[in-house]
Amino acid sequence: MSFPIVEFDPEVSQSLLHEVMEQSGQNLQACYQCRRCAAGCPVGEETGVSPDRLIRMILLGEKEEVLNNQLVWKCLACYTCGTRCPNGIQTAKITETLKQMCKQAGLAPAAPKIDAFHHSFMSATSHFGRFNELEFMGLYEMENTREAIKRGDWKAIAKEMKDQAKLGLTMIKKKRMHMGLEKVKKMSEVKGLYNKAKARSKDR
Amino acid sequence: MEIAYYRGCSLHASSNLYDIQIKAVFGRLGLELKEIEDWNCCGATSAAKTDEFLAVALPARNLGIADASGLPEIVIPCSSCYSRLLVSQKKLAEDPALHETINAQLEKKVLGKIKVSSILEVLVPEVQAEGFAGMASKKLDGLKPACYYGCLLTRFPGNVKVPDNVENPQGIETVCRAVGAQPLDWSYKTDCCGAAAVINNTGTSLQLMSRIMKDAIARGANCFVTTCPMCQFNLDAYQDQVGEKYGIKERLPIYFLTELLGIAMGISPELLQLDRHFTDALGLLKELKLL
Repeated sequence: MSFPIVEFDPEVSQSLLHEVMEQSGQNLQACYQCRRCAAGCPVGEETGVSPDRLIRMILLGEKEEVLNNQLVWKCLACYTCGTRCPNGIQTAKITETLKQMCKQAGLAPAAPKIDAFHHSFMSATSHFGRFNELEFMGLYEMENTREAIKRGDWKAIAKEMKDQAKLGLTMIKKKRMHMGLEKVKKMSEVKGLYNKAKARSKDR
Repeated sequence: MEIAYYRGCSLHASSNLYDIQIKAVFGRLGLELKEIEDWNCCGATSAAKTDEFLAVALPARNLGIADASGLPEIVIPCSSCYSRLLVSQKKLAEDPALHETINAQLEKKVLGKIKVSSILEVLVPEVQAEGFAGMASKKLDGLKPACYYGCLLTRFPGNVKVPDNVENPQGIETVCRAVGAQPLDWSYKTDCCGAAAVINNTGTSLQLMSRIMKDAIARGANCFVTTCPMCQFNLDAYQDQVGEKYGIKERLPIYFLTELLGIAMGISPELLQLDRHFTDALGLLKELKLL
């Protein structure tokens, strides 16, 4: 009697692999699992998925795990893996691609706070063309709280409010809080770039 | 000499002390900063993580404005802004179709001419030039900084030529030595502090900072020096939390490189706004009789 150790369906794996390679511009097939990336990854240990493992999962066609793991969201884009890779594979580009694929597939992000952060950042900069810290924190905490309410996680909401209020007060005390609103004069041009981006992602 | 200047959002808000210091120090060096007009946010890490087009297009608008200034060089002190503009310029040079699409949206077209420089690319040659010793007469004896670069000064998401050693850069050390400080050799100079993760994934960021703190302290550092406003903010504002969680008693000031240069040049701590640090930055300088 035999048991399969790895289930491998070439068709599934090929379509996932090519989609990731095309969108990320990275040649995943060049990975020979030397794990130099794993040694330098600041979040590999914590997430349980180092860059080499993520690449392996893609090569094996494990689509569900590939789109639903902590590394995809917790990758800090420090670019250590890509800088050290002897074959020039930038895994930070792969996690960027997978985040977008996860969204396109309508899946819930494995780390909702991080998703809320990037989403609020882009929405804040689309309003005035510049990043206003207070506006951003307002948007981010609103999105965050909404998600936490959905989960019924009141403890998380209380902790978040306490932590951010403490930081905010210290920032005011140290005159590091900026109250003015920064904005671009020619906002139509910036909006144009955002619209173009939207149109392009629809075409894809 | 005139240099174009992109200060970005951080240097306009929570880290505007860095902007003030840069202007003071560059002024002493005879460098006149011309802020590019009507600039926009570079998109930072969030654009790269959410939309590949915006990650190139948002910095590109600034590159177009900078090219239109006619100046040969633009200095970008924030590591994230620097990285994004440099990578965008490179990407547009490699991808003519994308270059054309983006230029069609812009009033000021990207020509790809301007040299994008980090603050170190400007400061290192300045401190090595003859006559610098005369401008910075105070020697920062006793200051033993752990020079902290973070991620984005030497590592890029593309094939960008790096003007310093990738794993063991020396730019900050070179400037520190030129003003008489004694920078230390240590292992975490290009490790990640977590940057924005301190807000959305605090535990990870605090752990990364604890490793950075512990190594610097074990090497005998009495302060950190950095050029990145995010690294500065994180290590400065969250140091107490890191210390409490990881049992680190020591508290080290996190200086901007421009603060050390400013003190060496005899610029007052009031003008440099050294009182705006979260972790006391004045005590050590007084103790070493540098103020």
